[in-house]
Amino acid sequence: MRLLSISLRNLRIRFVATVLTMMSIVVATALYASILTMAEQTEARYEGSIGGYQAILGPNGASELELVLNAIFNIGDSPGLIPLEVCQQMREQKRVGRIRRTRVRYAIPQARGDSVSRFNFPVVATLDEMFSKFEWHREPLKFQAGRPFHYSWEQLLELAEALARHENGVRAHEAEPPPRPQLQKEWRECVIGARVARSLSLGIGATITPVHGKRNEFGYHEHHEAACQVVGILAPTNSPIDSTIYLPLGVHLLIDGHEGGVFVDKLVPGKSKDMVKELPTSAGRIGLTAVILDPLDHLGPRILRSEFGTHPEAQVAWPQGVIPKFLQQIGNAADALAVIAWLVLLVAAVSITVAIYNTMNERRREIAIMRSLGARRLQILTIITGEAALLSLFGALFGIALCHLAQWGLQPLVEDLTGVYLDWAIFRPWELYLVAGVTAVGAFAGLAPAVKGSMTQVADNLAQNY
Amino acid sequence: MIHLQEVKKSYARGDQAVVACAVDRLDVEAGEQVALIGRSGTGKTTLLHILAGILRPDRGQVEVVGQRLDRMGEAARDRHRGRHIGMVYQTFNLLQPFTALENVLLGALFGRGAGNESRLRAEALLQKVGLGDRMHHRPAELSVGQVQRVAICRALVNDPELILMDEPLGNQDKATGGQVLDLLLQIADDGGKTVVMVTHDPESAERMQRTVDLASLRGEVVPAGGEAR
Repeated sequence: MRLLSISLRNLRIRFVATVLTMMSIVVATALYASILTMAEQTEARYEGSIGGYQAILGPNGASELELVLNAIFNIGDSPGLIPLEVCQQMREQKRVGRIRRTRVRYAIPQARGDSVSRFNFPVVATLDEMFSKFEWHREPLKFQAGRPFHYSWEQLLELAEALARHENGVRAHEAEPPPRPQLQKEWRECVIGARVARSLSLGIGATITPVHGKRNEFGYHEHHEAACQVVGILAPTNSPIDSTIYLPLGVHLLIDGHEGGVFVDKLVPGKSKDMVKELPTSAGRIGLTAVILDPLDHLGPRILRSEFGTHPEAQVAWPQGVIPKFLQQIGNAADALAVIAWLVLLVAAVSITVAIYNTMNERRREIAIMRSLGARRLQILTIITGEAALLSLFGALFGIALCHLAQWGLQPLVEDLTGVYLDWAIFRPWELYLVAGVTAVGAFAGLAPAVKGSMTQVADNLAQNY
Repeated sequence: MIHLQEVKKSYARGDQAVVACAVDRLDVEAGEQVALIGRSGTGKTTLLHILAGILRPDRGQVEVVGQRLDRMGEAARDRHRGRHIGMVYQTFNLLQPFTALENVLLGALFGRGAGNESRLRAEALLQKVGLGDRMHHRPAELSVGQVQRVAICRALVNDPELILMDEPLGNQDKATGGQVLDLLLQIADDGGKTVVMVTHDPESAERMQRTVDLASLRGEVVPAGGEAR
């Protein structure tokens, strides 16, 4: 028998009061652990995910943060479209007006807007350069199974020309406009991220059907004509790439319903949007949601930003500049929430003090009996402080368990909303420190009643016959 | 074993000091069994608490089991009580949430330590008093006589030199009380233990080797072995 076993017994005999008092500790610990986890995983996720993205070329009118969140983290709707010709200029290092663009290693176009499954895994239409030129932390993306699909820049340009011819025929109300290009069977291939494969139990050869929009949202419909066969599964990157489905840009452009919408019409002074839609267009006006750029120079992203500062349709976002500021804001919010969590813990500690203090009167005889058996004041102090510490320890452990349970339950929702994948199964060293800290706070809260208990007058209380 | 001289303990009641206990001299030899009798309010229980080290006298010398309790601090007196003195109360004073065995082990925990040896000793004591099959019962599940035997086992678990009893048979019928007292005195005899029992019951007092009337201790010296049973 130990002093702590007496503490434990005292908690057990006041089971309901113990559980009720413990609840506040559980909530405070879970809240604090969740805030720390979210802040930590958000930071790790965001900092780790921008490794392959030096600069994002996107439409004007959106903030840099919106562009980065959408293009890299699959968050939010596409903020708009930029014409293919801007990407072409970057790839061909052409002068635009008086400006000679900063040179880039690659400029990979992307178009998005569709998704797959109840998890809303985003579909990104792109080129095969995503798997040959794009560098994830200075290395090409690795495959855990299969191979890349094949869809080149040249194929895209060829398709864009054909689409423009057809579109111009339609806009000119020709009786027999040039035929709309057909979706080639060999294009209907896709590469999926590791999490997509795991969550949907997909392997090589499986078929994926993109859907427009998101489930339960207006305009949602499935693109059966664009169903693609999985030909490759990417190795895990612990980034949003794991949750992405890549398919050829050609498939995206030829999906039913995208016909006229694939062109970005230039605004013409004095003409309405509907009037502009009647004007001839060109292959260069095919719309993209973003272009991934990798400038040759490490100052390139910042130079590009200033070069595009006056561009009428496009801008360049610099993830390495935007994300740290974003994380700083998240960090500030997390700090504020952490203060709230500590206040909840403080209230919980006070509730421990009150709960145990209130039992002291009814326990005077019990304490007097122990004193008469030879228990010293310090031992009584240890027993009562031990009760508070054990109560807090159990509360903290349940709180940590609740935090992990919440991460498990809210994982899909959090990823959908923030792009952060909560790995509920990972236990971190600070969780141990948190448990120790909460236990210490609880023990401290038990000191006041413990001192009162240890001051119990033995002779007076032994004389009472209850 | 016990040497008291010029001991006085009083309490403040308003402006007045009420003398709760006054003993000019009391000597009890090792192995003696003494009954303390006296009218209510003569300070029998206060004297017992002074002997146990629970109370400290206002003045006088208190030597118990070779230690001057009047010179010791509270923690030292607690430690001394835990190791050398076993106490049995009229109200049993068992802790209700604990089983019979655990109650006995509590005595060991605050005495010589509740290790494996103490556990074996506690079990052996409970077996000896006929509670081998009641060890894991809580006090509420035991009869009055069984509870009293558990209290005796708790007093004996540290193998104390001195056993102090405060009306130990007060809550029992005479037959049960007699059996319990027989058992206690037999264990005390076997172990050569000193017993001091406060009682109102003349029959119980007669079974002790010596009876001391507390009133007689005020202003007079009562020598050891004054009144044989």
